[in-house]
Amino acid sequence: MSSVNYAELTQYAKSFTGLTPDREALLVELAPDIVPQLELVTDRFYQTLQDIPQTASHLEGRLDSLRTTHRQWLESLFSGPYDEDYTRQMYNVGSVHVRVKLPVEFMSGGMTLIQGELLPVVAAACEGDTARMAAAMQAINAILGFSLLVMQESFQSGTLAEELDRFLAISGMSRKLFDNLASAYAA
Amino acid sequence: MRADMLTSILNELNGTSADIEASAVISTDGLMMAALLPAGMDEDRVGAMSAAMLSLGDRTATELARGGLEQVLIKGDTGYVLMIGAGEDAVLTVLAKPDAKLGLIFLDVKRAAEATTKLV
Repeated sequence: MSSVNYAELTQYAKSFTGLTPDREALLVELAPDIVPQLELVTDRFYQTLQDIPQTASHLEGRLDSLRTTHRQWLESLFSGPYDEDYTRQMYNVGSVHVRVKLPVEFMSGGMTLIQGELLPVVAAACEGDTARMAAAMQAINAILGFSLLVMQESFQSGTLAEELDRFLAISGMSRKLFDNLASAYAA
Repeated sequence: MRADMLTSILNELNGTSADIEASAVISTDGLMMAALLPAGMDEDRVGAMSAAMLSLGDRTATELARGGLEQVLIKGDTGYVLMIGAGEDAVLTVLAKPDAKLGLIFLDVKRAAEATTKLV
């Protein structure tokens, strides 16, 4: 995990998700209209998760702390900066998801829910200006996609690392032997 | 110097039987310490694979209540691979012909492993 190049990952995720400087600026510009509504977005998000049996079981006893963290993260979507520190935070969120053994689909499902909840908020903020609303939704898609991409990258690395640890424990192989084996068969 | 002495042990081992085609001493981390292998055989792969197999064999013997591991023997269409621990830190791997007389080879390999153990 410590070998992650966050600068490179940030640029990669931005290029993949279309998080351009213009969209970053628009997100910050939208903050005064959207941030006051984020508490409601968080409420609805967790209400939906509580209504889904598969997700509800992961919330027991942690709801208040999760809500607080979620609310803070939502606000960060509209405050920036969308830099290496932000990438590092999202990477850590992905690592935590692996550690607490959340199913991988929770991340993409969660992002879809958030996107759906933000849509009426953005519509209200744009007051019928369809061009601005389209631009706002593109910017929100970009930052949510950026966040998801980084979390999935982390989730994949974390999952592979856990599986490798398990394999080494079962097989009795040392990490060094595994590295030498992998190196011997490197292309 | 140690590599030379190990190579000498391997030379002697390979000379004990025409059925032995190759041999090598490998660290338990999979690094080659000395080898007499056929041309074209990748030392890194032989080393890492041998150590990995010995590790798996050791774990298998323990898990299946077979006691401490003595050797791992693999038989293929074109011959045998025999791996035996040489002390705590090394593996002796031998490649033998398909019609090899294993009893004699086991004895020679065991002797070579004991000699190797004193050097590693």
